[in-house]
Amino acid sequence: MGNLVQEIKSKFANHDDFFIHEERFNHTAIFLMGYKTLINFTKSKLYVRQMAELSASVDELFINLSDQLDVKAEQLISAIIEGKLVVISEKNRNAIMETVPQTLSRSIEEPKNENPLQGPFDAFGEDVDMNIGLLRKRLNTDRLYHCSYQVGELEKRRISILYIKGKTPSALIEKIIRKLKQIETDIESLEDLNKHFGYRKFIPVSHLFVTEIPIQAVQSLKKSRVVLFLDNYPSALVFPHLFWDMFVTENDRNFPFLLSFMVRSLRVIGALATLILPGLYVALTSVNPDLLRIDLALFVAESREGIPLTPLIETLTMLVLVDLTIEAIVRLPKSIGSTITMVGGIILGQAMVEAKLVSQLLVIVIAAMVIAASTIVGVQNSLYIRSLKYFILFAASIFGILGLFTGLLFICILLASLTTFDIPYMAFRFPEKGDSQ
Amino acid sequence: MTQRVQMALLVCVASGGFVYLLYPRLVTSSTDSGHWVMVLFQGLLQIFFMLIYKKGLDYFPDKDLIDIFRQMGKWVAFIILVPYAFILTSMVGFGLRAHSEEIIAILRMSRTPYWAVLAFLVFISAFTAIKGLGTMLRASVIVFIITNLLIMFNTLTVTANFDFYNAFPVWPSSLQFLWDTNFNFLTGFSPLLFLGFVPSENNMKYSHLFWVWTYVTFIILLSVYIPLFIFGQETVVKLHYLVEEAVDTVDMRWFIFSRQTIFFGMSLIAFTIFLNALLLWKAGQLMQKTFNWKKNKRSYSIIAFSSLAFLMGLYVPNQYMIEKSVELSTGIHALLIVIIPLIIFIYGVINRRRMAVYEKK
Repeated sequence: MGNLVQEIKSKFANHDDFFIHEERFNHTAIFLMGYKTLINFTKSKLYVRQMAELSASVDELFINLSDQLDVKAEQLISAIIEGKLVVISEKNRNAIMETVPQTLSRSIEEPKNENPLQGPFDAFGEDVDMNIGLLRKRLNTDRLYHCSYQVGELEKRRISILYIKGKTPSALIEKIIRKLKQIETDIESLEDLNKHFGYRKFIPVSHLFVTEIPIQAVQSLKKSRVVLFLDNYPSALVFPHLFWDMFVTENDRNFPFLLSFMVRSLRVIGALATLILPGLYVALTSVNPDLLRIDLALFVAESREGIPLTPLIETLTMLVLVDLTIEAIVRLPKSIGSTITMVGGIILGQAMVEAKLVSQLLVIVIAAMVIAASTIVGVQNSLYIRSLKYFILFAASIFGILGLFTGLLFICILLASLTTFDIPYMAFRFPEKGDSQ
Repeated sequence: MTQRVQMALLVCVASGGFVYLLYPRLVTSSTDSGHWVMVLFQGLLQIFFMLIYKKGLDYFPDKDLIDIFRQMGKWVAFIILVPYAFILTSMVGFGLRAHSEEIIAILRMSRTPYWAVLAFLVFISAFTAIKGLGTMLRASVIVFIITNLLIMFNTLTVTANFDFYNAFPVWPSSLQFLWDTNFNFLTGFSPLLFLGFVPSENNMKYSHLFWVWTYVTFIILLSVYIPLFIFGQETVVKLHYLVEEAVDTVDMRWFIFSRQTIFFGMSLIAFTIFLNALLLWKAGQLMQKTFNWKKNKRSYSIIAFSSLAFLMGLYVPNQYMIEKSVELSTGIHALLIVIIPLIIFIYGVINRRRMAVYEKK
């Protein structure tokens, strides 16, 4: 056994899934090595044997097997870690082989977090190359540029950037690439990546819009945005994230204009209702009851008769309970999730009203709000709109209608102040005319 | 949407904040007939200064107001611009106090103390100002749409109570009001000096200015004539919040709110916040650029100015004093509206001549 084999063997002594397999060819020993967990060993061995039958000498076999011949020991080790098969002969010739990998990623499946109605049903998976393939299949132009970077300290993670040359402003791409090259820490989550595009500590809006539907990513590319892929992350990251992503999906365009307009307007109403409804209830019951018409005001007052909690506490209790229910349903396995729905429905809808802890009107308001919040596109967007409603609720409980409207304005101003690399979050589209060359 | 259009919309929104506060009261108290003539003269006066100002600024395409004053000399900039920042602060303080009283009246928040509303409005305005001009420009688009929808709704519903005979006689009995101090105060109710805060090459063009002027004049006419059509001149002079009282006369059975003044109140809130944010931003910009501070110091000066404005608004004792102080601060502002455009224009002309002579040599 040669020195090289010994060296590699000692290096991987503590790796149980590392194998060294000895084959004999023309009275020369050949060692195949790699990870059992990453390489399909049986098929790879078969392939090497078939190649051996076709080759006359050991040298010819090595040439047939691979282009990467006689490399240094470090390269061999890193190739093994990356999941390649390394072949070393007795006489210390070596080769790095691309082999049949173990199937470690799932195949193309339906989207799990989004629901395209009457649209294409394939979704991105964990494998970056497969994801990029999905994009290339839909966007077969030579102007679709792709570059990838390895970033990280402990483990190198691959980040791929895709854009359409001539549409995306080159200054933007340069800025992104510069930022990516500066990354020195490990990228473990989206938030780690997000921080590098400008830190937003107290603002729940990300720089990246997450989508798992290929047509959404393709349309974003066509609208001169950049699509990033992080390996082992099953979604495309559209950069920059814009306000209208919350209301617009590409699938809407499959409907006639009027219908898509209606659907989008419903989403806007949904976002507004989520923000306003709880605050409006508190404002009209505790601060400004006289703004309602007298019969409505009496109805509201009657529905709150005998309820010991103040409107703010009452609403806050219900809001937190509903948010807890939603979180619980996400956490639990699907088989138990329905139980929570049922129990939650009974407790929130029936028991709390009958116990006179909250008013029936509030239950209606909360139900409407939860439904409205679900119309928003994207899980993160829905979450952040749901989190912003608490601010309006508190403002409305102090200042009534004034607080409600000012709170809305405040949120509007806050969102308008956000920019990603000088591209405003509130922009409808970018770049503006004339900049796209 | 280009930045120029956004700028025009921001000026429109800020003008709304000025117009609804005291404008209709001052107009109706100055003349008893032919109010539109007064509004028209007022508009002409404004467009005259606007054009002079724009012309003057155009001589320095890549400079803003403060750069031009600094070019004239450090002391000139100091003497004119620092007091200007304080005048803006006083306008914010007194104006917000008056607005918070009016908002309390409109939304019937009788249990809420005025200082709480004042603090809230000052906070939001200062926050907006600190976020900078870009934020205000972008947000102003949405606010412009919302407020105009609300105003349109109010205007359309109010027409049910109109009695057009109230506006007669159409022609003014005399042009005596042109020499009234109130008429001069009215000039101060205009954010036109904002033009100078953005370098001329990125600023609005003449067409934008014309549309802004048309919109503002239209809003002024609405604010004057809505109460006039409903109550008539004799009643109007006795009322305090004219537009609010006028909108309050409408009673719609199908509507869920008992008083639709809340919509007027909402648009007033939006106007106020943006107007005062703009004024505070201007004050901050003046201090930062005049003294050549670092950019992050602007937010400190905005915080200092807004605290000062809050204290000013807090310590005005009564309704009468509020009105007097608002009139006083806008009066001084009116004086600046006359002085600053003229200085810029004259300096621009001199500067150009000097350059021409220099080039000939």
